[in-house]
Amino acid sequence: MEGAADSDTPVPERSAADRAAALARLLHRDCTRLLELYKEREDFLSQHAPGGERLVTLALCPEAPSTAEQVGHVRSALRRCMELLECLIVREVEEMGEELQGEYESLRKTVKDRLGHLLHSTGALLENGEGGCPPSPPMQCIQGQDEVEASDSFAAKIWTYKVLLELIHWTDSASQTLHVFHTEKHGQQQQQQLL
Amino acid sequence: MQGWVTLALLLSLGVKRSLAQNGLGEPRGLTLNPDLPAQTLSLAWQSDSTLFDLEIFHTEFMNVVLNATVEVQADPVTGLHSWTWHSPLPLECTSHSVRIRARNQQSVSQWSPLQTIPGWDIPEKSYMFPEDKMIPVGSNMTFCCIVNEKEDFKEIKYGRQEMKATRLSRRSYAITVTNQPASDNTGTNVICSSQKFQMLTGTVVFVGYPPGDEGLVCETRDLASAECSWKKGRDTHLRIKQSLTNYTLNGRDCLEANERKTWCSSKMWEENWTLEARNPLGTVQLTDSAQLTDRVHLLAPVNVAAVKVEAWSATLQWSWSVAAYKKLEMVCQLRLFAHELSSTRNYDGPGLSSVVLEGLWPDVDYTVTLRCGSKHSFWKWGDESAPYRIHTKMDRPDALDVWMWMDSSNTGHVFWKPLSVRKSHGALNGYEVSQSSAEEDGRNTVSLPPGNFSYPILLNNSSDVTVAVAARNPAGLSQPSTVTTPAYRADSQLSVSELLGTNGSFVLSWEPNVSASSGYVVEWFPTGCTGLCPIDWKKLPESDRSFTVNSDSLVAGVRYTVSVYSLYTSAPTLLQRWQGYSQEMIPSQSVSELSLNQTGSDVLLSWKATEMKQQRGFIRGYTIYLASAAHLDLIANITDPAVQSYRVKGLTLSSYKFVVKAYTSAGEDAGATVAIKMEMDTDMLFVGILVPLGIMFCCIILFSIFFYKKREWVKKAFYPEIPGPKVSGDWSSPRGPLDVKPSPHSLVHIVKNPEWDFTKEGLFPVPEEEEESENDNMEVDTDSDEPALLRYYNQVVGDGSHSNQVSDSSASSTASMGSTQTEITYAGIQSPSSSQGAYSGGGYRPQMQSVTGPAEPQIEFEADFQDDGLNAGYKPQCSWQLDSPEAENFSGSLGSPTSVTSSQFLIPESSEEKPQPSNTWFHNFLSGKS
Repeated sequence: MEGAADSDTPVPERSAADRAAALARLLHRDCTRLLELYKEREDFLSQHAPGGERLVTLALCPEAPSTAEQVGHVRSALRRCMELLECLIVREVEEMGEELQGEYESLRKTVKDRLGHLLHSTGALLENGEGGCPPSPPMQCIQGQDEVEASDSFAAKIWTYKVLLELIHWTDSASQTLHVFHTEKHGQQQQQQLL
Repeated sequence: MQGWVTLALLLSLGVKRSLAQNGLGEPRGLTLNPDLPAQTLSLAWQSDSTLFDLEIFHTEFMNVVLNATVEVQADPVTGLHSWTWHSPLPLECTSHSVRIRARNQQSVSQWSPLQTIPGWDIPEKSYMFPEDKMIPVGSNMTFCCIVNEKEDFKEIKYGRQEMKATRLSRRSYAITVTNQPASDNTGTNVICSSQKFQMLTGTVVFVGYPPGDEGLVCETRDLASAECSWKKGRDTHLRIKQSLTNYTLNGRDCLEANERKTWCSSKMWEENWTLEARNPLGTVQLTDSAQLTDRVHLLAPVNVAAVKVEAWSATLQWSWSVAAYKKLEMVCQLRLFAHELSSTRNYDGPGLSSVVLEGLWPDVDYTVTLRCGSKHSFWKWGDESAPYRIHTKMDRPDALDVWMWMDSSNTGHVFWKPLSVRKSHGALNGYEVSQSSAEEDGRNTVSLPPGNFSYPILLNNSSDVTVAVAARNPAGLSQPSTVTTPAYRADSQLSVSELLGTNGSFVLSWEPNVSASSGYVVEWFPTGCTGLCPIDWKKLPESDRSFTVNSDSLVAGVRYTVSVYSLYTSAPTLLQRWQGYSQEMIPSQSVSELSLNQTGSDVLLSWKATEMKQQRGFIRGYTIYLASAAHLDLIANITDPAVQSYRVKGLTLSSYKFVVKAYTSAGEDAGATVAIKMEMDTDMLFVGILVPLGIMFCCIILFSIFFYKKREWVKKAFYPEIPGPKVSGDWSSPRGPLDVKPSPHSLVHIVKNPEWDFTKEGLFPVPEEEEESENDNMEVDTDSDEPALLRYYNQVVGDGSHSNQVSDSSASSTASMGSTQTEITYAGIQSPSSSQGAYSGGGYRPQMQSVTGPAEPQIEFEADFQDDGLNAGYKPQCSWQLDSPEAENFSGSLGSPTSVTSSQFLIPESSEEKPQPSNTWFHNFLSGKS
């Protein structure tokens, strides 16, 4: 994978922010592919895009946050995404069992693992808890599912679709924010070296 | 108007009164109890009647969905009538209203008040029903979509299929799907969308099959507990957890069983077993019944080991993990694998735990597996043990198969066949060859490395040599095999028979030989081979009289020499020898040195046969073809292969291409080609021309000589002397017509030219026909005794007179006949002296040819005639007419003794003036003129 090459290629003195940004890009591609696979399984999603409320909303942050605060903001969202993904996996395994082991199930696990790595990486970037938003209330797995006006199984499918959309959205935000964060850090380091 | 209303009220009151008077009371206390998942509606009411009319409506549009008459008995305890209706539509889809009335034959009570159960199309939300239903494949189902108050309905899709919807109420729409196919893993989606092409809601239906498991079998592994297994039937297509199949064995949950694991265990053996497989779509029950001893399935033996291994045997031991097996009468099966060969041996006994393996081969790797089963009421083989490897010890090799082949009277080779693994009993170290003869004491022994399979033999004297060969391996030396040199017999000294292969093999048979006390040896090798040839042989017992050399050791298209020797204590004796091909093929090479030689119109083709290696079969003959552009024409088939020439006869001058092919029983070779362009035979050409010429020349000379010598006779015969005229009296005195009495045999014809040619002047020959016709006309004259008078007129013969005859011959003839005289016109009488004498005073003038045209002759003729009459005398012609008819017709009158005309008169003096006719040369020849 291209993303794998980006992340695995040893670059001398590559900063943690740069690595985190590359991981976020890779994760974004994984999540996009995961949604494609889900749409292949549930092909009605390609024709009828479900509407409704967003699943991941964060508490109000400062209006003009710094880049570090934005990274913290995105991290909080990713953490919520991680919780949703774990709920999703539990639900699917509970419903379908462990027997189904296709590409979707394999990539689903990969996304979960890489999202954990990204959360760890961004956490390391934020020194002293810098930029953290107020902690979100504990989430229930059924959150958002009751909003769908449909049967349980159908509502679960719509909810899964929304979770995957949130993953795509927030991993994309993370890659952009981390890239800016890396650029700023790199500029500051160069200025310090010049001084 | 008021009157009509009053009338209607009275009528309705009358009807009510009549109904009341029927005694049928209106059903009371109608209650509705819906079962939404089951899509059923239970009705309960009170009534004294047992027959009821029922009506069910979709409330909003009051569409009747049921109108039926049912007989319902009252419950004896509660006194309630109850009846259940199964709705094809989910009851949530819209509100349903029910009313009921009692019936007694044609009498009915009043309808009960409408009872309604509300649908879900009342709240302001979107719904779809039924939700997450599980149904069997092929069933029909109605789905409904309740549209949000603010949305406009567009469509309902079942999977990818757009369905036709019917409206149930203001906000509720329904589709009915028939014969539904099996769903995918996550069910079939049914989607309801709005006009904005936005999904409103949806539901999932799981279409599958009830369990299809079959074949329950229970057995014991430890002689106490039970393990039951079955075969999974068809796929249920139900994947979600709540739809998976659940199993119970004899009423106990079988938790270990699932979609993949189709077995269940029980701690105690029960003789009867029942397995129940259940999923939301159905249940299946499987049963089995057996005694424990009939269903023993032993576990695999453990700790298998060989405790004693020899060259030809080994002892194997094992143990059992279940103690109860030690008392079980069992049968065990050992499977031995060695060099891709396997063998199976069975052993039995109570609690069997060791066996002795006999009949093994030395120095062989064996792999042993072991499995056992109950001997009595054998059910099935138990689990197989892990493979165990045994390597047997070495032993001395077997004796070699030795043969000696003599390629001359004092040289040869001793051959032996390599020992197989089974016969070498261990890797060979080499061979020992010892040689002895009757005249020499002791043995000469030579050791050879293991790769050698022959040894040269040289005979120094006439005595036989005996050679012994033995093989050696680490375990020792084999028994020596001996062979004595057979007498060398060249093929030329024998009558070698032709041997035909049969299916690629040689089938041999021979007469028994009393001296073959040690059997026979059949030997075969490629014919013509010298030195270290691929000799092969087979030793046969003395009872054998036939042998088949298999195709494995033979090559098709190779000639083999096959010999049969009888074995005795002394040297082998040759009994019979053949040569043949196991399978004949077409020659690989064409005939060689193909040449041709032309002899006149014949061509001699000659060639030489191909070498034996290239023949690849017995040459049966040759075919000769004449090749043309497109094909070959067979001109000869020589069936005698010894004939190697052919003469093609009678060829014309042209180019030829000949193809000569040798053929075996397999067919013809490609053929050798030779071409020739036939040339003229110059000698024969000369002979053909010169001989006829010479003969002709000789004939001419002979004729010339003959005629020369007989010229007088020829002259007399063909040209007699004509006596000269004898003139007496005075020729000049009488003037007038000269009447001549011709000879009776003389005819002088009047010249009649059928066609006037003014280029030809004078007289013309009279054709025979005309002559005859004139003769006919003159019959009168010829019949008279009086000879006709020839009257000579002194006339000028001109063109005009002649033309007159031509133009009117009949008139001329008539005129002639009328005078009974024949007019004779002499073309010319050359007697100038006499004529001069006769007409010296008469005013002779020569006749002049008329130069007038052909239109004038008649006039001129008459003028001339008159003139003749005036002259009244003979006028000799002054000019000689070349084309005189008499001259041309001379031959016709030649020889006539009375011919008045004489060639001397007719032949012109000057021939060069005009060309002579072609038929005049003979006349000249005879007349002596050149």
